[in-house]
Amino acid sequence: MNGRKNVMSLRGLMNVVGQLVQGRPETSGVWVTAELADVAVRGGHCYMELLEKDDGGRQIARVRGCVWANVYSRLAPYFFQQTGQQFASGLKVMLRGSISMHPVFGMSFVIDSVNPEYTMGDLLRRRREILERLKREGILEMNRGLEWPLVPQRIAVISSAGAAGYGDFMDQLMGNPAGIRFHTRLYEAVMQGASAPASIIAALDRVAADAHLWDGVVIIRGGGATADLQAYEDYELAASVAQFPLPVAIGIGHERDITVLDYIANKRLKTPTAVAEWLVGLGEEMLGFLISAGQRVLQIATDRLAGHKQQLAQAEALLPAAAMNAVERARARLRSATSMLSGVSGRKVQSQLARLDMTLEAVGRAASTVTSREADRLKAREELLAVLSPMATLRRGYSITRVGGKAVSSVAAIAPGATVETTLADGTFLSTSH
Amino acid sequence: METKPMAELTYNEAAAELESILRLMQSDNCDIDRLAELTRRATALIAECRRRLTATDQELRAILAEGDAEK
Repeated sequence: MNGRKNVMSLRGLMNVVGQLVQGRPETSGVWVTAELADVAVRGGHCYMELLEKDDGGRQIARVRGCVWANVYSRLAPYFFQQTGQQFASGLKVMLRGSISMHPVFGMSFVIDSVNPEYTMGDLLRRRREILERLKREGILEMNRGLEWPLVPQRIAVISSAGAAGYGDFMDQLMGNPAGIRFHTRLYEAVMQGASAPASIIAALDRVAADAHLWDGVVIIRGGGATADLQAYEDYELAASVAQFPLPVAIGIGHERDITVLDYIANKRLKTPTAVAEWLVGLGEEMLGFLISAGQRVLQIATDRLAGHKQQLAQAEALLPAAAMNAVERARARLRSATSMLSGVSGRKVQSQLARLDMTLEAVGRAASTVTSREADRLKAREELLAVLSPMATLRRGYSITRVGGKAVSSVAAIAPGATVETTLADGTFLSTSH
Repeated sequence: METKPMAELTYNEAAAELESILRLMQSDNCDIDRLAELTRRATALIAECRRRLTATDQELRAILAEGDAEK
């Protein structure tokens, strides 16, 4: 009987436990931090395991968690909007909820709220740790330091064959209206979940083996809402991309999705379509350059020829004047040389020249004095001569009387009947004295 | 100017040579004697770059078929 009194139904026991842990202030509406695992959505409800691990990664606490559909429908979009993450395994979260005890399913933590800042802080801290480590190792900037060819046309693609993102990428790339030629090969990898990093690293290794075939690598995934990018926050993957010998372009998510790869890859774009558009854009840019280059070559050649023809015509027109101009120029040069020379020879020469000038002047003056005096004398003599000349006397009315060729100055010298010769200014006549 | 045969040029080399020819042709010391030669070389480079850049319709169909086969 005693034993019977102590026997409870299992359900009864669970009810007792439930009463002990359920609906108490210590277990209701409390905030806890935990890591998510085995996240699954069924019938709109979200089920998961909540874990706590020690520094060595060993589980030290574990409880089932759930978010009922009426809460999850609000909580999931809010959390995604704030963090860019879905509820997914590996995520660190701060949750508010209450312990619930079910006779069949046991104890679980029923979640009614989440603090996205905690998750963001944790993600950023982990990303920063990876980036700092890559920096310490000197490989952070390595892939970003590589250069794409002007037009990358040989592209190794890492994606999963069935992914919508891969299809979008290929359609966009191969259907480009400019007809730019691309050559691609798919290196398959698992792009979702915890195995993604190792699978992508393996694909990168296969590309590296063919590195001479490719201008660069694109890592693409996308389509679907299961933006489970948690797996990409991985040191090994980041290090592989950073050290990859070819430039890497990524398009692995949506608007808000940022992973550590966004800081590592040579080129980061949001979606596979955006990667294709970028590649096509580079080709179109080059085509545009080629077209304009062709036009410029033609234009320049035409202009040059026209210019030379015009120069020829001008030269022809200028030729006759050119010789004259040359002489004129030579003359001008000479003049300027002379003036430069006098400038150079300075004051000494200048004063010498002045003295020389003065001397010349003095000589000139002296010479002219002598000559004018001489001229005056000549003139006076001429005048005197003129006065003294017998012709002048005769012109004044005097005459010369000669007898027998001898001038006579007295009548006594003239015998009667003698022939007398009388000379006047304009002639001579003969007469007989009486 | 020394010129490599077209086939040996990388795309980047071809584009760079094209640019340098354009600069040369525009510069004042472009020799009229070389104008024809430069124009010919530039035109050939442009044609080669375009040929490499764009695929013919036939090639495009082949590439697309290859892509489908891989899928």
